[in-house]
Amino acid sequence: MAHGTVTEVPAAPKNAPQPAAPRSRTIAQRIAGTQEAGLILVIVLLTIVLTLLAGEHADRRTGEMVNNFWNANTLMQVATDASFFAIMAIGATIVIISGGIDLSVGSIYALAGVTMAMLLRALGPSGAVPTALIGIVVCVGIGLLCGILNGALVVGLRVHPFIITLGSMWVLRGIAFVISKAESILVPQSLTGVTKASFGLPPGLYPVPMLTMIAIAAVGTLYLTRTVMGRHIFAFGGNVEASRFAGLRLDRIQIGVFAVSGLTAGISAFLGASYFGSASSGDAQGYELYVIASAVVGGASLTGGRGTALGATLGALLIVLIRQSIRTLHLDQNYEWIVIGCAIIVAVVIDQWSTRAAARRLAQAAAASRAA
Amino acid sequence: MAKRMTSTLAATLLLMAACGKGGEGNTQRAQGGAGNDSAITIALIAKSSSNPVFLAARTGAEAAAKDISEKQGVKVTVNWMTPPQEDGQVQAQRIQQAVNGGADGILISSSDAGKLTGAINDAVDRGVEVMTFDSDVPQSKRFAFYGVDDVKTGAAVMDELAKLLDGKGRVAILAGNQNAPNLQRRVQGARDAAKKYPGIEIVGAFNHIETPQDAAAEVTRVNNAYPGISGWAMIGAWPLFTQALLKDIDPKRMKVVAVDALPAELPYVEKGIAPVLLAQPVYMWGDVGVRTLVDRIHAKKNPPQQTIPMELVRVTNDNLGTWARQLRDWGFTDVPQKYLDLQK
Repeated sequence: MAHGTVTEVPAAPKNAPQPAAPRSRTIAQRIAGTQEAGLILVIVLLTIVLTLLAGEHADRRTGEMVNNFWNANTLMQVATDASFFAIMAIGATIVIISGGIDLSVGSIYALAGVTMAMLLRALGPSGAVPTALIGIVVCVGIGLLCGILNGALVVGLRVHPFIITLGSMWVLRGIAFVISKAESILVPQSLTGVTKASFGLPPGLYPVPMLTMIAIAAVGTLYLTRTVMGRHIFAFGGNVEASRFAGLRLDRIQIGVFAVSGLTAGISAFLGASYFGSASSGDAQGYELYVIASAVVGGASLTGGRGTALGATLGALLIVLIRQSIRTLHLDQNYEWIVIGCAIIVAVVIDQWSTRAAARRLAQAAAASRAA
Repeated sequence: MAKRMTSTLAATLLLMAACGKGGEGNTQRAQGGAGNDSAITIALIAKSSSNPVFLAARTGAEAAAKDISEKQGVKVTVNWMTPPQEDGQVQAQRIQQAVNGGADGILISSSDAGKLTGAINDAVDRGVEVMTFDSDVPQSKRFAFYGVDDVKTGAAVMDELAKLLDGKGRVAILAGNQNAPNLQRRVQGARDAAKKYPGIEIVGAFNHIETPQDAAAEVTRVNNAYPGISGWAMIGAWPLFTQALLKDIDPKRMKVVAVDALPAELPYVEKGIAPVLLAQPVYMWGDVGVRTLVDRIHAKKNPPQQTIPMELVRVTNDNLGTWARQLRDWGFTDVPQKYLDLQK
């Protein structure tokens, strides 16, 4: 055969067995094959354990005995508590996939919240819809601005994101402190009414934060898996040099991921301030650690190139579930931080072992096939 | 990934089992709930579980619960649900958790009234009785508040300090969490009282995150920044829980008046650094709170007034022994023996 000649693929013999038609997979099989399957399994198992051990109490409305954990109010409350972290964790995951980190999300949350509250207070009473629109625009705008600033500083000063966002964490919270004069500023009742809308559900059930979390997780998943920018972020985080040689606009990618992180912090701030009814410069202190923990537990790799929006959401849910279990089981709550910290370390260490073991197996297989 | 997560679950469950149920002073799970008159669960949500004054409140609450359980045939359980550090949002979440977990009553000291109003109202709407102590949420549907008049407390601190300084000198105010409504009112009370003394100059009100170490560090920072300070009006005695200022402050050149007088703070009275401490009987937060809630839930009895006043106790070297023995009777085990042995 001459070099470079295209040779036709010979036709298969007439009696050769036909390749099997691809089997259609059930939904359960599809879920089991996903990266998040293990996380879903753990959440389900923890839920079952909590339900079995939780005990029960008499419902005040109906007088019937209800499980202390497996009841609509507690499940909704867990989802709500997780939503504030989860939304920010989706943005944080995108930064982590790119190989960076954002420590300023808690401060962005505080600054966005107090700015919104102060502006709404200055504007005076208004209807629910205009109030909500102004609120979301302000929070998202502040979040985006802070995120773009973080990205621009990382790119412009060529300093590691850890350092830049560590500094901005202080600066942004300081700005929130100064402009709010350290007050806790109430938001209008009409805005709280929007976030605490029950849509006809029984009293105490407010699904808006949970629904927002699900929506953001869906959008985040589409962004990462179905858009060009999403693929570029994975490429950048997986191999910077290869991305550079491939002609990707690295500066834009870096600024973009921090912008998204700021955006999600702004959305979370809008939800949190309106749900709880006030905003202050002290809000969300320490949340960056929960957010990063959610991303990492959800499968994001701190070395970059790996992570999913769904994983971040489930990671936040798992951490909140662990916190809830301390209370539901009436355990000594002083151990909460110890339990969560240990669970995170175990999750990451075992993940690293698995990754190294998989890499060794691949290397051994490659060596074996070369030897053959 | 499945292996990783299963290991996470196993590790978590093992750790939770090792943590034990209930911990120090915590009690059993209530099987009661609304409509069960033989068992009452009260969730105690103070501002921060690292602040000793709230640990004292917990002691009082659990002692009252035990006393009521023995004498009245009603099993009262106190569920300690205080966050490890001050966070109004976490307190709001704890309120929801308490309600969802079947608590009959909630006793709470607010870190942020704005964040708690909605959560308290939701709890009351779902049939849970809520009472506040120390730091109120006045716009909420809570049925009672037990605590000092914060404005008068702040004013009392400044009046005592002004008397010690003969009405003149540079004075600093030590505040705490800037969002706490009760502390804001105390600072205002102190500032307003200072206006009566033209010779008193307030250099500023200084905040901190309400741990003893941070508070002590803040006092030291301010003393270094304002060398002429002759007095501190401390609307909470956080730094006096440490020994740090015993050597740093010269009682001949600086006087301190503070709110609260727990065992660790008594050396400051003895040494003359804090000649006057205005003690809130913090143990009574828990005691009165639990008894009032049980009366409301079990006997359907309301307190005589919505705001139950708490009187401050003036602690000086003249009654140090009496106060030390009161602390011991309230269950404090760390009262130095030398104070217990004092005649008065």
